[in-house]
Amino acid sequence: MASVTLRNIVKDFNDNRVLDNVTLGIADREFLVLVGPSGCGKSTLLRILAGLEDATGGETFIDGTLVNHLPPRSREIAMVFQDYALYPHMTVAENMSFGLRLRRMPKPEIEARVREAAGILQIEKLLERTPKQLSGGQRQRVAIGRAIVRKPKVFLFDEPLSNLDAKLREEMRVEIAKLHQRLHSTIVYVTHDQVEAMTLASRIAVIQGGTLQQVGTPEQVFSRPENVFVAGFIGSPTMNFVAGTLSPEGTGLCFANDAMKVALPAGLLETPPAAPLPVILGVRPESLRPAGDGPAGRQGIPAEVDVVELLGHRKNVHLLAGGTKLLMVVDAAFSPRAGESLQVSFDAAALHFFDRTTTKRLR
Amino acid sequence: MDEAKTSSLEECRAILAAHHKRESLRAVLIHICLIACCVACIYPVLRILAVSLRPGDRIISTDLALIPAGATFVSYLRVFRETNFLIWLWNSLVITCVTSVIGVSLASTAGYAFSRFRFPGSKLGLTLLLGTQMIPAAMLLLPLFLMIMRLGLTNTYLGMIISYSVTSLPFSIWILKGYYDTIPRSLEEAALVDGTSRFGAFWRIVLPLSTPALSIAFLFNFTQAWNEYLVARVVLTDSFRYTWTLGLFELQGQYLTQWGMFAAASLMVTAPVLLVFLYSSKWLISGLTLGGVKG
Repeated sequence: MASVTLRNIVKDFNDNRVLDNVTLGIADREFLVLVGPSGCGKSTLLRILAGLEDATGGETFIDGTLVNHLPPRSREIAMVFQDYALYPHMTVAENMSFGLRLRRMPKPEIEARVREAAGILQIEKLLERTPKQLSGGQRQRVAIGRAIVRKPKVFLFDEPLSNLDAKLREEMRVEIAKLHQRLHSTIVYVTHDQVEAMTLASRIAVIQGGTLQQVGTPEQVFSRPENVFVAGFIGSPTMNFVAGTLSPEGTGLCFANDAMKVALPAGLLETPPAAPLPVILGVRPESLRPAGDGPAGRQGIPAEVDVVELLGHRKNVHLLAGGTKLLMVVDAAFSPRAGESLQVSFDAAALHFFDRTTTKRLR
Repeated sequence: MDEAKTSSLEECRAILAAHHKRESLRAVLIHICLIACCVACIYPVLRILAVSLRPGDRIISTDLALIPAGATFVSYLRVFRETNFLIWLWNSLVITCVTSVIGVSLASTAGYAFSRFRFPGSKLGLTLLLGTQMIPAAMLLLPLFLMIMRLGLTNTYLGMIISYSVTSLPFSIWILKGYYDTIPRSLEEAALVDGTSRFGAFWRIVLPLSTPALSIAFLFNFTQAWNEYLVARVVLTDSFRYTWTLGLFELQGQYLTQWGMFAAASLMVTAPVLLVFLYSSKWLISGLTLGGVKG
């Protein structure tokens, strides 16, 4: 296994800059998930790491060695592709052993490695089949098996579960997590699915518009998002944002806009503003509660129920507070009706404040 | 209520029966057309067969029998005994096989380059290649002859092979380029990561998946070179270098044409093409790339 360092990576497609000065270190045996919306440059970054794409600028190191000019075959990596990319004219066993045969490994060792990987992925019975005789989930297992047998320094996964249905995706997610526990390998995993990112990653790198937005543990990116984009991208349902002004008021603070005015304790920010500051307030839907539901002293905001969505164990309640749309997640037992007026409360500690100009987190 | 149900059921049955009748009639008409086309294709060949089997004194006859009275293989024997038929056949085979192999080799690599790489002039190059197919073969004859002559390749296999290879190349490149476009790039990328070079990915992954297109290109090159007459007429003057198309015309005299031998030789030269077609047909399989990537 090995560490990976991407230093000042820049990638231009004609005049379009898709990666802008990305610097990222991935520790040995770490499971790093690159997450971001479609077209943000995450797959391009992975392909640069794999050697399938040349960077316009910057340096790539694998295990301390500069690999910029090395072809993919010399980088000691294995990659699982989004569309499986199995060789259709070869059996499962031939697909898995292809890389080993190219390296002229002794036949008994090839067979042993294929059997071992097939055992891990429970595809022993499929070894003589061709890819077209397999289901989507089985194909993805074979693709992962093809990577495992190589015993590479770094595993690269490019949205490997995005072609699977929801149930299979969940199963495979667990399989991949187990695989990492078993192999203790360095994995770079690209996805646009934040659930995959949160559940699999040792660290998450959130990328948007070709720039890294935040790198941290799943807990860090969820509970202390660096900017509005990260706050909105990580977490489902997405965070509520309310534009307003944060001003000092007495010994504390006051957040206000045309629709609401909320008094807040001073300790929320390390450096409280001395003058009114335009901010974006962020609050997660699960941090909102109907007033009176919870500890005393919570703030109340008058709101009107717009739409209620039942999701089985919980309900999404869409609210209108003045002109501001809010989403509140409540227990399924709570039954508000559309048009009903209610007071919404929140825990002040669960609030996030972002500078309205820079969209960065206020500390 | 029951009556209404019964009448609507009968109406449905009547509609279905009428639809079935229309479909049957359509199928019959289509089959009649197809059979007529088959007869139109096969009948001349059968006439040639009949002529080749006739005894020498009954060559000019209005008899339509497929196996004529007194049928004999004398014309076939005479072709071997009295002409250089085997030499012509050998010349044709050498030129055609080498042309086909060279043509497919060049087209497979050129087609790959046009399919996978963006380089200055790639689009223009493809258009120009297509443009060459618009020029009638007769117009190319003189420049081609001049080039072959200046290279000192008249009356040589090499001269013929070069002429045939380059004239078939554009079409083959287009066929193969089109087929490569349908093969997902991720398969080659997977091979590159697994440990092949770019050529290795082409050789081990792309080519095996392209056998249907390679077969078509090979058949095209083979039939073009096998049946070609005009270029051979200009480039080859030595009777011992003749291909069968030129040789056959040797049988046509100013005052007398050996129609029996002509017909027998014509039928015999179809054998290699038929064999190549039969052999290639096993490679003409659809869906080779199925299952490799998410479809």
